[in-house]
Amino acid sequence: MKFSKLLLIALSISLFVSCSSDDDDTPKGAYDNGFFILNEGSSSVGSVSFSSNDFSLFTKDAYKAENGNDLVGGYLQNIFFDGDKAYIIAGGSNVINVVNRYTFKLIAKIDSGLATPRYGVVKDGKAYVTNANTYSYINPATGDTDDFVAVINLATNKVESKIELNATANRLVLEDGKLYITEPNSSSKLLIVNIATKAVETLEIGYSADCIEEENGNLYILRAPFSGNGELVKVKLSDKSVSKIGFPDSLAGVGLMDIEDNKIYYTAGTSVYAMGINATAPSTTAIVTIADSYIYGFAVENNRIYVADAKFDKDSKAFIYDLAGNLQKELATGAGSNGFYFND
Amino acid sequence: MTIKLRLAFCLLLLCQITLAQSDSITSLKEVFVSDKNLKKYSASQSVLKLNDSIINKNEALLTDLLNFNSTLYFKEYGRGMLSTVSFRGTTSSQTAVIWNGININSQMNGSTDFNTISSSDYNSVSIKAGGGSVIYGSGAIGGTVHLNNDLSFLNRFENNLRLDYGSFNTIGINYKTSISNKKWSTQIGFSKNSSTNDYKYLNRYTWRGEQRWNQNGQYDIITLNANVGYKINENHILKLYSQTSNTDRNTSLIVETETKSKYVNGFNRNLLEYDGNFGKLKTNFKTAYIFENYQYFADNSANNFTYGKTENLITKLDLDYTLFKSTQVNGIIDYSRTNGYGTSFGSHVREISSASLLLRQDIGDNWKNEIGVRKEFTNNYKSPLLFNLGSSYKFNDWYNLKLNISRNFRIPTYNDLYWETGGNPNLKPENSYQGEIGNVFTFKNFTWTQNFYYIKIKDMLQWVPGTGGIWTPQNQDKVNSYGTETLLSWRKNYGKNNFAVNATYAYTISQDEKTKNQIFFVPFNKATGAVSYSRNKVSAYYQILYNGFVYTTADNSKDEIINDYLISNIGLDYDLKFLDSFKIGFQVLNLLNKDYESLENRPMPGRNFNVYLTLKF
Repeated sequence: MKFSKLLLIALSISLFVSCSSDDDDTPKGAYDNGFFILNEGSSSVGSVSFSSNDFSLFTKDAYKAENGNDLVGGYLQNIFFDGDKAYIIAGGSNVINVVNRYTFKLIAKIDSGLATPRYGVVKDGKAYVTNANTYSYINPATGDTDDFVAVINLATNKVESKIELNATANRLVLEDGKLYITEPNSSSKLLIVNIATKAVETLEIGYSADCIEEENGNLYILRAPFSGNGELVKVKLSDKSVSKIGFPDSLAGVGLMDIEDNKIYYTAGTSVYAMGINATAPSTTAIVTIADSYIYGFAVENNRIYVADAKFDKDSKAFIYDLAGNLQKELATGAGSNGFYFND
Repeated sequence: MTIKLRLAFCLLLLCQITLAQSDSITSLKEVFVSDKNLKKYSASQSVLKLNDSIINKNEALLTDLLNFNSTLYFKEYGRGMLSTVSFRGTTSSQTAVIWNGININSQMNGSTDFNTISSSDYNSVSIKAGGGSVIYGSGAIGGTVHLNNDLSFLNRFENNLRLDYGSFNTIGINYKTSISNKKWSTQIGFSKNSSTNDYKYLNRYTWRGEQRWNQNGQYDIITLNANVGYKINENHILKLYSQTSNTDRNTSLIVETETKSKYVNGFNRNLLEYDGNFGKLKTNFKTAYIFENYQYFADNSANNFTYGKTENLITKLDLDYTLFKSTQVNGIIDYSRTNGYGTSFGSHVREISSASLLLRQDIGDNWKNEIGVRKEFTNNYKSPLLFNLGSSYKFNDWYNLKLNISRNFRIPTYNDLYWETGGNPNLKPENSYQGEIGNVFTFKNFTWTQNFYYIKIKDMLQWVPGTGGIWTPQNQDKVNSYGTETLLSWRKNYGKNNFAVNATYAYTISQDEKTKNQIFFVPFNKATGAVSYSRNKVSAYYQILYNGFVYTTADNSKDEIINDYLISNIGLDYDLKFLDSFKIGFQVLNLLNKDYESLENRPMPGRNFNVYLTLKF
């Protein structure tokens, strides 16, 4: 019995290894050729799960597995990559953990100059990380105007400067030397930050704008209000012209968005939908519906749809579908799964 | 089949005991307790009374006293930090804390933080297991913890002073004075317990290799008590209890880089009470004003805070009529008005009236019966009809059988109803049906109590994400808790040598009815033990606490647990026989230097020390 199990493991490993070498993509570590699932966790501690692309390997808490007692921090928000390194943002602990993206071993921590860090992007050896700083419910005077972008020198892992935004900031993309920043709770504006001059411009797009993607010279931004209808906002980068596509009542509870291969994938309630990138109206035909779920993380990559059904008092679930909505795999992940990050 | 078996097993072992450390020498007639019903209506349940001699052997805060001396399980966010209870597998808001007969659980979150209460402010702390909503109202499902101040009408002038100094700059100052004669009785007390609480975490280092320690864990708890009693004559007594407290506490960091926050909370409680004796009819009239507030500073260095406050006015009339010599009936009407306001729940008034009828009957010396019903009237929620039925029968001088069944509830809190955004005004109270069998065996100096209980709770309030991602409370889960409690007590004097041994053990199953999983943060096993020895001027004691492992997730994930731990304390004091009593004492806490935590990533201190002086004059 035990022996047969061993054999099975040995076989599957050899299969995996041979597959990878066929692709001429020798793994650089235990966490290559797969994807991370970021688990927000509590204010004190979150976790990062890993699965190989063929699902043969799965580690529920990769950070703990590789770094033992070291605490990754709480409210894990985002992972961004640069070269061989992955940067895990712990918003609840004001820290960014720098790990080798293939071995997941801790290299350093960026642990000063951050205040509730949220999302990060990298350009030319520098990371740009939005910081929510204080919130208006606790700091009514400046809570909505004190957010900033921390500019981090990735050679020294130190925050070298700050770009004050005089607004709230959350998700961001970087395109042609400019950061485009949204924030869903207190802001109706898209922030445009020139990283060379640190000049900040704003563009009115409406409240509840969160997911943002750049594709072919356009920004695609999903407005997902708590109540009322969602909206897709399109911003043409060349002239900053704004156009909008409203979502009908049947798409209640619009949530997250990802763009892949000229298709816009989005969630509403417990379902996943897709529309052509140039379509003028959203699709109301669900690709897949996950009953009783709380969709908290979402991505489309390599012809697969990744959905996280977050639970906070127990394991979350990650569902991986093909583009037609056929379930490929269900994984039991850590508390509060909120994102997928691909490591190929 | 299995239920029958279990029942048979229960019946076989039936038993129950009150661990009375009966040191009270003063005649009972001259000592007046405010919470009369605790004594009158607890014949069919188990009450563990901890008096000042036990209180003095424990650390200052109520968590430590109850943790080391009862079956109650505590979850502490680090030493001195937020501490919540689980009694018989129930939630922290299903144990009611009763101050001189008044339910003082927070109106805002429904529970009590046991690290904001200094044990020595009370003459005794009693732990009553099982349902008590008929008398004590919301939250008395797992049981009730009673904080009692007794007033005595004897001619005396007594002062008690205790000073503590321990590791991590832990300072305790505790002063109590009692002045009384046949007409007046006054008790004034002051306590201050503080600590910089900067203990090292055993075996834990940062990624840079530095020793980790408890940062931002300082606390300071100050309480003032004043209790006055006036005997108008033998049949009419007026009493006033007043208490003010402030807890100024930082919140200890889990990760060094977190923003340092602080939580300040306080209360002011005033209770005016009149006792009238008109022969067969006795009246007790209470009116109380209870103020509770908190301020949360998300960032210590800034002056911004969120807050909540409630003002609660309670009036209660209790008429006790002796129908026959053996039978007494109590009719209680009660009105409570709460005005709550805060940054997260706006401003709301809640009015609750209730009427209850209690009956107790003694058939001979050995058979006691009690019956109670209570109904609440309020616009806020649909209130169930609560009841309590109990019986105690003494078969002989060594065996006493107790049976009790009751229906109890826990009302939604201000947070549940009014939280912005997400509060749900359409909640029902949580409610329970429960039953217990208690067996008390008494052999000379030894008592053994064995309780068996079953609690069925439905409409558990739980916050779940709703549409659009807004979290909102719902009445959803059902929980069944059952288990057994063992209480043992033995004391013996050999000449000048006095020995006492006390022990408790609880086995608890608390299951989600649907998933059959153990409720997280409920240990299957908990045990305590205490041995004390005294001879002439010297006394020594040793305490032990075992907490079994707990799951930390609802799905009982095996890799997310908190390990079991066994910790112990040892203490010694010597009476210099100066003044009435002048004791100097020394304690070693966590004697075996155990690395443990009661909540994940919240390490507790290793071996630490305390010296104290207690003076009586």
